[in-house]
Amino acid sequence: MISSVLFGAFGLLLVIGAPIAVALGMAAMAAFISIDKDVTTMVQIAYNSVNSFPVMALPAFILSGALMQGSGISRRLVEIAEVLAGRMAGGLATSTVLACLFFGAISGSGPATTAAVGMLMIPAMVKRGYDSGYASAVTASSGGLGIVIPPSIPMVIYGVTASESITKLFIAGVLPGIVIASGIIGMNYVISRKKGYKSHADDWSFKKVFFKIKEGFWALMAPVVILGGIYSGLFTPTEAAIVSIFYTLFVGIFIYRELKLKSIFKSLDSTTWLSGRVLIILFTAQAFGRLLVQYKIPDAIAAWLLAVTGNVFIIWAIIIIFLIMIGMFMETLATIMLVTPVLLPVMTSLGVDPIHFGVVLVMCCEIGFETPPLGENLFIASGIGKVTIEEISVKALPFSVVEIASVFLVAYIPSLTLWLPKVFGY
Amino acid sequence: MNLKNIIKKTILVLDNIEGHLCKALLSFFVILLFVQVLMRTVFQSSLAWSEECSRFSFVWFAFLGASYAARLGAHNRVVFQFRFFPPAVGIGFQIFADAIWIVFNSIMTVKSIETIQGMIRYPFNSPAMDVPMHYIYMLFPVTFTLMNIRIIQTNILKYVLKRELKDVDDISSEMEDIKHDMKVEQENQGRSA
Repeated sequence: MISSVLFGAFGLLLVIGAPIAVALGMAAMAAFISIDKDVTTMVQIAYNSVNSFPVMALPAFILSGALMQGSGISRRLVEIAEVLAGRMAGGLATSTVLACLFFGAISGSGPATTAAVGMLMIPAMVKRGYDSGYASAVTASSGGLGIVIPPSIPMVIYGVTASESITKLFIAGVLPGIVIASGIIGMNYVISRKKGYKSHADDWSFKKVFFKIKEGFWALMAPVVILGGIYSGLFTPTEAAIVSIFYTLFVGIFIYRELKLKSIFKSLDSTTWLSGRVLIILFTAQAFGRLLVQYKIPDAIAAWLLAVTGNVFIIWAIIIIFLIMIGMFMETLATIMLVTPVLLPVMTSLGVDPIHFGVVLVMCCEIGFETPPLGENLFIASGIGKVTIEEISVKALPFSVVEIASVFLVAYIPSLTLWLPKVFGY
Repeated sequence: MNLKNIIKKTILVLDNIEGHLCKALLSFFVILLFVQVLMRTVFQSSLAWSEECSRFSFVWFAFLGASYAARLGAHNRVVFQFRFFPPAVGIGFQIFADAIWIVFNSIMTVKSIETIQGMIRYPFNSPAMDVPMHYIYMLFPVTFTLMNIRIIQTNILKYVLKRELKDVDDISSEMEDIKHDMKVEQENQGRSA
C-alpha cells in the first residue's frame, strides 16, 4: 500500500517533468500523510541530511576541481600524459586515456574531465590523421574514468547515502578504474593497428618526457597531496578536499601565476548552484529512503528477486542492466541517491559488501555518460570534435562493450574492489 | 548617483541575493575548515567551535544554494519524454509540476515554523557555541519561501516576458572559458611548429 503511494507519486511527478528532488520529496510527503504521520519529521530529516561533516566534501571537491582548471594544473597534467604514451600504435589516443586517468585523480566529475582533456587531445589527434569521430569517441568513453578514479564526487554521494566510509570507497575504486582504463587502451590498440593510426614517436625522447614532468611537477603533486593525504589517514576526505583547494590557490597564484580573480569567483558560483541542487535531492531522497526501509520494501524486492533466481551471478546481471538503463536517463548523482536506499539493502541481504556494490553502481553510472540520450560526455565531445552524436555513439560502441565487460568483471570478482582496502587496513 | 541607478543596482543585487550569500558562506566555511586542519596537524590543538560553526554555515549554504539553483532553473528534471509531443504539452506539464513544487515548499515552510515554535517553547542550545538552535532552523522558512518566489519569478520570466533562460548545464557556452584555461590556441601553434 505505502509502496504504491511512494513509487506511484514519484513516477507520476517524474513523468510530468517535476524536478527529481520534488518528485522524491512530494512522494515521501504524500506517503507520510497517507499513513497519518506528522510531516514535521521531514524538517528533521532536512536538517540531519546536510548537518554532517562528510557531506561537506561535496562542495569542497567541486570547488577544487573548478579551481584546478583556472590555475593551469589541469593543462599540465594533460600535457604530461600526452608525452608519456608516445611509441604505441594509436599512441595519442592512449595518451588521451592516460590524461583522463590523471585528470580523474584530481577531479571528481566525468563531463569536466571530457571537456578539459578533449579540448587539447581531440584537435591533436585529428591533426595526426585520426578520424575525428573516433577521436571524439575515445575521449567521451574515457572521460567517465573521472568518476571511478578517486577522488570521485559520485562516491562521496554514495558514501553519504549508504553511511559507508568514503576513504574506503576511494581506495576500493583504484583497481576497477585501472581495469576499465586498460580495457579501453587495449581496445584502442586493436582498432588503431587496424586503421593504421601511427604513434607520434618521431619527436619523442626521454629528454622531452623529463622536461614535461619537470614543468608539471606542482601539477603532479596535486593528486599526491589529495590521495596521499587520504590514504595515509592524515586527512579525512573532506579535509583533503579543503587542503587541495588551498594547494591549488597557492600553485595557481604564486607558482604558475595563471589564476585570475574572475575564475575564482566563477568557481565559487558554479559550486554554489551545483551543490544546492544536489543537496536538496540528498534531503528528499533520505526522506524517501527512510520510508522504504521502515516499511521493509527492499526486503520485498529481495524476496521477489530470490524467487526468480537464487544465483548471485544472475542477480548481479539483472541489477547491472537495470542500473545502466537508469543511468542512461537520469543524472548520475540523482541516480545514486535514488537507487541506493532501494537496492543496497537488497544486495546486502544477498551477502554483497556495501563497498563492492557502491563501486559497481558508480561504474554503471559511468557508462550512462557515453550512451544516448543523456550521455553528457557525448554532447561535450561532439561539440569539440564537430561530429554528430550518432557517429560518436556508434564509434564508442566497442569501448562501451569493454566497459560493460569491466563492470561484470568487477561485480563477479569481489576481491578486485575489496582487496586493496584490506591491504590498507580498512 | 541618481535614484534610478540605485534602484537598478538594488534590484540586481536582490535578484542574485542567494548567490552572493552562498559565495560568502562557502568561502567562510572553506577558510574555517582550513584553519582547523592547520591547527590540528601543525599546532596539534583543535578548536571546539570551528567544526560546529562551519557545519552551521554549510547547512545554510546548502538550502540557499537550492534556492539559487531554482533562480537559475538548474534543478534536474527528466524531460526527454516531452520530445514526442508538441512544445505546448511540455510547457503545460512543467508549469503544473512547478505548482506542485510550490505546494511542497509551502508545506515545508509551515511545518518548519511549527518546529521552530516548539524549539522556542523548549529551547536547547548547540553544544559547542551555545547558540539557540531555533536560529539555525530559521533557514527552512526563509529558504523554502525564497524558493517559491524564485519558481514564480522564473516562470514569469520564461512564459510571460518570453526571456530565454541560459541552460547552466549546457557546457558549450563554457567552452570558450575552458579553451582559454587549457591554452588551446597557443598549444596548437606550438605543435605545428
